[in-house]
Amino acid sequence: MSDASVSVQKGQFPRVMALIMRWLMPICLVLMGLGFAAVEPRILSEANLLNITTQASYLVIFAAAQMVVILTRGFDLSLGMCVSSVSVLVALVMTGIVKSDPQSLTLAIVLSVSAGIAFGVLVGAFNGFCVSVLRVNPFIVTLGSLNICYGIASTISGGRPVFGVPREFSNMVYSGELLGIPAPIIIAAVLLVIIHLILTRTVFGRGFYILGSNPRAAKVAGMPSRLYLTYAYIICSVLAAIGAILLTARTGSGEPNLGGSIALESIAAAVIGGVSLRGGVGGIPAALLGAVFVTVLSNGMNLTRIDGNVQMIVLGCVVIAAVFVDRIRTK
Amino acid sequence: MVSNNIALGHLPQKEVNQLVRVISTMGLLPILLIVIVAALSIFEPRFLGIFNILNVLRETSFLAILAAGQMLVLIVGGFDLSVGAVVALSSTVMATVMANTLGIMPDEVGLVIFIGVAAGIGCGVVVGLVNGLCVAYLRVSPFMVTLGTLSIASGIALLLTNGIPVYGMPKVFVNGFGRALWLGLPTTVYVALTLVIIVWAIQRFTVLGRYIYAIGGNLQASQVSGVSTKRYLITAYTMCGALAAITGVLLTARVGSGQATLGGDIMMLQSIAAAVIAGVSLRGGIGRVELVTLGALFLSIVTNSMNLVRIDSKIQTIVLGVIVIFAVALEEYGNRRKIRE
Repeated sequence: MSDASVSVQKGQFPRVMALIMRWLMPICLVLMGLGFAAVEPRILSEANLLNITTQASYLVIFAAAQMVVILTRGFDLSLGMCVSSVSVLVALVMTGIVKSDPQSLTLAIVLSVSAGIAFGVLVGAFNGFCVSVLRVNPFIVTLGSLNICYGIASTISGGRPVFGVPREFSNMVYSGELLGIPAPIIIAAVLLVIIHLILTRTVFGRGFYILGSNPRAAKVAGMPSRLYLTYAYIICSVLAAIGAILLTARTGSGEPNLGGSIALESIAAAVIGGVSLRGGVGGIPAALLGAVFVTVLSNGMNLTRIDGNVQMIVLGCVVIAAVFVDRIRTK
Repeated sequence: MVSNNIALGHLPQKEVNQLVRVISTMGLLPILLIVIVAALSIFEPRFLGIFNILNVLRETSFLAILAAGQMLVLIVGGFDLSVGAVVALSSTVMATVMANTLGIMPDEVGLVIFIGVAAGIGCGVVVGLVNGLCVAYLRVSPFMVTLGTLSIASGIALLLTNGIPVYGMPKVFVNGFGRALWLGLPTTVYVALTLVIIVWAIQRFTVLGRYIYAIGGNLQASQVSGVSTKRYLITAYTMCGALAAITGVLLTARVGSGQATLGGDIMMLQSIAAAVIAGVSLRGGIGRVELVTLGALFLSIVTNSMNLVRIDSKIQTIVLGVIVIFAVALEEYGNRRKIRE
């Protein structure tokens, strides 16, 4: 009897804990939103909510990119600088073509966007090659490619923003609307749905989970692990490139400093959302949750006029707390 | 037939293996250093100018101290991304404390310097302690912890100064220590040499050093053998923080003002690069401070020579990134060779 009751208690307690852990972040998110709203009611205004959604749609792309790599037990520190260099590259190509022939706007946009995405593929292939074939620690690889991308971004731009991105481009990708919904939100939503379907419904997508949760099993099962690893990094960098193009349309210029804090924020968002650093756990819902969390946090701190430097400190604390929660969750 | 084939194929293979083994124990580094110095002194006579050599030595000393700390953390199987931010933090804290205490007691310059330096190094110790505690007790990935403390430390440094350099340190400290030459060498060289020797002695002769290797080599085994792994993990991170803070103090004394932009990501990357080039394994358990110092020297010479031939600093970061990846790839290749043998 007593044995049974003990075992019931033992069985229930972790289950309750697991339930709490599972809903901890959404609860925190709601509490945080309410807390900010109590201090500053404008946070719940329609304009600001739309603002938060638009901002989150950029971050969620980067968080999803980071998530794909983290699924395979990797990291991409170079993401931010990849964003910078793609932004500069796209702006340079676009302004260059438009300057030489003002009529060829469509051509300019198509060519520059493909150049940006091609650059993303290149960075991802480089990272993936070093990680999978040379077997260098992903941390070191992306730390190295971070510097390489930074060098490229600031060299080709001369360290200055590239102005003169055609207004039509911004109108289309930034301030454009479809059925009243801003373009960035639509683009992000489409990307998220595609990646979600790939990750959950295709053999290809499931491969990343296997690779992350048990690399040995993946290998024994005959999965081409190296290829999958490389794909993960390419997907990550291509998503980063797309995000960079959207951001370039928003700022209307190619910015070599665009990606400064994006790597940290994307990792923070992914981990806060519940993507495990030990690989194999996570998905688009997690990336979405994390991105909204980080955006609400920074938006709330902006509106309550908290100093930018303090925000940096808070973000650092949140990252550590999130990893700690992740640690408990997977114990 | 088969055995014959193997025997035939074995001879050159063996020599290659031997070469690889010599390189992986000695490191490619001394050879590379000699080659690069020889090449530079032939093609770029300015390299051997006395000012340039002093410059290289000074840069090497800063980097060597930082890299020694990074090495300790790498040996226990960790990472410290926060070293660059700690440099900035200790710089701003020290300068602020010195400027303020000098205002209160303008006559007690010695005491002011002491308090300032202690405060600067104290910051590093605290950050290192936080890193160590999180890694040891919360068992959080060192990468994420130090990414967090990086953000926190540089946030505090910027908050403290608003990004404006802090002036007002005692003149004696700047002119008599930071920019001074003793017996023809910059003071930082002596400090770096002392610290490197201390770390070397710790690694070589003390239980602490042995345990740090043991933990990195096999955490579980050392735990089972009764090593209080947590204590030594924390010690390693704290030492790393303290060494980074000392680098910050020396840099501040040299620059003459406390700046939140000192250190930063570039120095963090350089410290990892110097350690990795010197054969410190990212998997822990392997690393020698004397080689790391050579690694720092190598990096400083490479940077210096690129400056001399006027290669843009932006391209230099590209080169640094390539060097780091290449060094780790080489180490990884050597490891796999060893395993195959």
